[in-house]
Amino acid sequence: MSGSGITRRDTVVPAAPSRSKEPARGHATRDFLAFGLAGERFALPLAAVREILKVAPITEVPRARPHVLGILSVRGRITTVMDLRRRLRMAPAGDDDKQRRILLVDGGQEVVGLLVDEVYQVYRLHEEEMELAAVVAGDLSEYVFGIGRPGTLDEEVEVERDEILILLDPEPLLKR
Amino acid sequence: MTGGGDEGDSVRDEFVAEAQEIIEALSRDLLLLDHGQKEGNPDPDLVNSVFRGVHTLKGIAGMFGFADLGEVAHVLEDLLDQLRLGRVELTQEVLDVLFEGVEVLQRLLSAGPEAPEADLDGFRGAVQAVLDLGEEAPSDFGAYDLDTGVLSVLTEYEEHRLRTNIDQGVPLYRLRVRFGLTSIDSDLEELKARAKPIAEIITYLPSMEGGDDDSIDLEVLLASRVDVAELRDALCTASDAELEPVGSRGAGASGHTMTPPPPDEPTTSHPPASPPAAPKRAEERTGAPPAPPRDVGADSLSVRSVAKTVRVDIGKLDHLMNVVGELAIIRSGVGRVLDRVRGNPEFRALATELHRIHRGFERHLDDLQDGILDVRMVPLGQTFDRLARAVRQVSREHGKDVRLQVSGADTEVDKLIVEELTDPLLHIIRNAIDHGIETSSDREAAGKPATGTLALNAYQKGNHVVIEVEDDGSGMDAERILASAVERGAITVEAGEEMQRPEKLGLIFLPGVSTAEAITDLSGRGVGMDVVKTHIARLGGVVDVHSELGIGTKFTITLPITLAIISALVVRVAGRTYCIPLTVVQEALVLDPASVRRVEGHEVITLRGATLPICRLDGLFGLQQPAGASPKEYVVVTSLGQRRLGLVVQGLEGQQDIIIKPLGKTLSDVKGFAGATDLGDQRVVLVLDAPSLLEEVLAGPEVRAAGLGATS
Repeated sequence: MSGSGITRRDTVVPAAPSRSKEPARGHATRDFLAFGLAGERFALPLAAVREILKVAPITEVPRARPHVLGILSVRGRITTVMDLRRRLRMAPAGDDDKQRRILLVDGGQEVVGLLVDEVYQVYRLHEEEMELAAVVAGDLSEYVFGIGRPGTLDEEVEVERDEILILLDPEPLLKR
Repeated sequence: MTGGGDEGDSVRDEFVAEAQEIIEALSRDLLLLDHGQKEGNPDPDLVNSVFRGVHTLKGIAGMFGFADLGEVAHVLEDLLDQLRLGRVELTQEVLDVLFEGVEVLQRLLSAGPEAPEADLDGFRGAVQAVLDLGEEAPSDFGAYDLDTGVLSVLTEYEEHRLRTNIDQGVPLYRLRVRFGLTSIDSDLEELKARAKPIAEIITYLPSMEGGDDDSIDLEVLLASRVDVAELRDALCTASDAELEPVGSRGAGASGHTMTPPPPDEPTTSHPPASPPAAPKRAEERTGAPPAPPRDVGADSLSVRSVAKTVRVDIGKLDHLMNVVGELAIIRSGVGRVLDRVRGNPEFRALATELHRIHRGFERHLDDLQDGILDVRMVPLGQTFDRLARAVRQVSREHGKDVRLQVSGADTEVDKLIVEELTDPLLHIIRNAIDHGIETSSDREAAGKPATGTLALNAYQKGNHVVIEVEDDGSGMDAERILASAVERGAITVEAGEEMQRPEKLGLIFLPGVSTAEAITDLSGRGVGMDVVKTHIARLGGVVDVHSELGIGTKFTITLPITLAIISALVVRVAGRTYCIPLTVVQEALVLDPASVRRVEGHEVITLRGATLPICRLDGLFGLQQPAGASPKEYVVVTSLGQRRLGLVVQGLEGQQDIIIKPLGKTLSDVKGFAGATDLGDQRVVLVLDAPSLLEEVLAGPEVRAAGLGATS
């Protein structure tokens, strides 16, 4: 899984290389795209992220569930856009935030747009840098599959310990 | 990453598509054969065509790892070979096995090569059983004045055809023609083509006598019911051609030259090819006008084989359609520029030129769009063929005598619609045969013809295609349907009392409602009628039912011709834009607020003397009117069959052709929208699903509750 699956249009994402060491030592690694939501840091597997869009006018869909913002045409294809804050039962965002982006995420069944507050960077996480949800706590939502702690392997670099990532599983997240 | 795998997949898809085509052709040919067999003159070319199809299938199945499929094709091929050579007689029993074989092939193809090994023993047994019925037919043509030289070189197949013709009392002729050596191939083809409608060419051989360095004499043995003069006119175009009947060696051939039938002759529906039978059959036929020697099956077959076709993935057409959509957006962009240029007197000449180019672009774009739409269209015939097979099977399963009448098989519909139509139609047909059409004895007792009729009619009506499935069976009991609906709690007794007959019949489309007398009836009609309705509704169509007790039942399905492009009315509701398909719009008028009354919880207005229920879309959708909105409102009158509903909107923006695109699965629980579309100015606009709105608003709360109960 290299990051080549991501195509950018109207993007301002620095696809910065991971601050972790090169994928050495024979450990399995996975790439994640980190983004912010109400002050917390989340991440989705990079392989599931198709595109990052600037926020465009969204057509609301009456009678859809509250977390559905509406629909958008991405090069002729009608795409549903969800408010990830509301999907995760967080407080709704304020209005004008230029940092907001729509992530086009493949949830297996279809590609859905997710509105996030801001997009940070791509992290390459080693196995040791991920804690699976089952280990962390039993009562996490089904769409959280673990916690990422980038940099814990790196003894030389001073790591900010609050830089943890909540790793989201796109499939349950986007299922109706 | 998976390039190799994808390629393998696409090659296999190609195989599946080809195999599917072969199987469909097989089924078509078998139906023609079935028809021919019932009429008493099955076309041997059809047997050959089926044989060839199965043979091809066998070959390609092996290459793609469909071992079971290849195996079944092989077994079928054996049987067909025996049929071709006349060692097995074509009977209904044999046809049953052949039809079953096609079903098995279809099943195996759908299951894919990875499916666990199927149990084919049952099918093999069935084939063996009919093979065992076959027996060697007599092989002596002593009664005819045939050249032993000719007889000795007949192939097994030719011998069989010769015997069959003799058995059926078809007169034989010998034609001697001279062909130039250089043109013999084309001359022979031409002769065959001329002979085809009136005679069967059994064999041809170069003659021993005659001919010279540049030409060769051919002796052609043929069988025909057409009289000699006509035959001569048709075939002896060259002056040196001679035609003479092959005489019988002594009339009333005595049995001694032919092998008597074996004593353990099994029961077959046809008289065996024994000497007493042959002359008798010949006598029966004398005096009767010559039967048309060929049916259309053979001709359509030859047309098919030369058709130049390309298989295209429908996804590619969708992509092209998207491109057309994008071009349309560019077109309106150019239109806007044109308007600006026009406004400037300096650029008048430029504007004229731009206008001309714009018009040309528009015209060609329309052509392109029409062309793509046309490619998506396929005749319903394919679907009807599949249904005909089902009719035959189901009616035999239930021991009912049913005749299928098909009209309008050439009506064209969007490929995607055709694909989705088979299941609902199959369901209706099964029900019609199972529950609608009575047994022959019941029918006769009721004074009806013993054979039931199932009619499948299709025709185009404006932008729609109508498909009717009509049976002349026992009809549906509206009261029983009502009782069933009440029992299921779908409606209240009181609501039922107020219903008219058509409404009561319409209840069969509710989940669980049945016309069956008791729950003991396992096949239970009605189970699944709601599924039929949902299926059809998903295609943007509606299904209606009419039924008279004792006379019959008619299901009418109305579908849009294409899902791809429709004309729509663009409206504004509470500051938002929506499209309403024009096909359901009757008219639009200004709403006079003073004329609105309330009747039974519905707002209604009176339109030309009739009451029209209206629905405020802003209220239904829970939309806030923007501040300072104009109080002027409009009513868009939509209709579905006999039912009408006025949709109240705040603005009419005009009419536009739109490409409906589906909403994602995430939104599948949102009712009332058929999809969305890109309007030229980058706006994504929802398209209202008028039928479902009509249903939602007009249905009583009970029905609504029942519908919700089923989806949860």
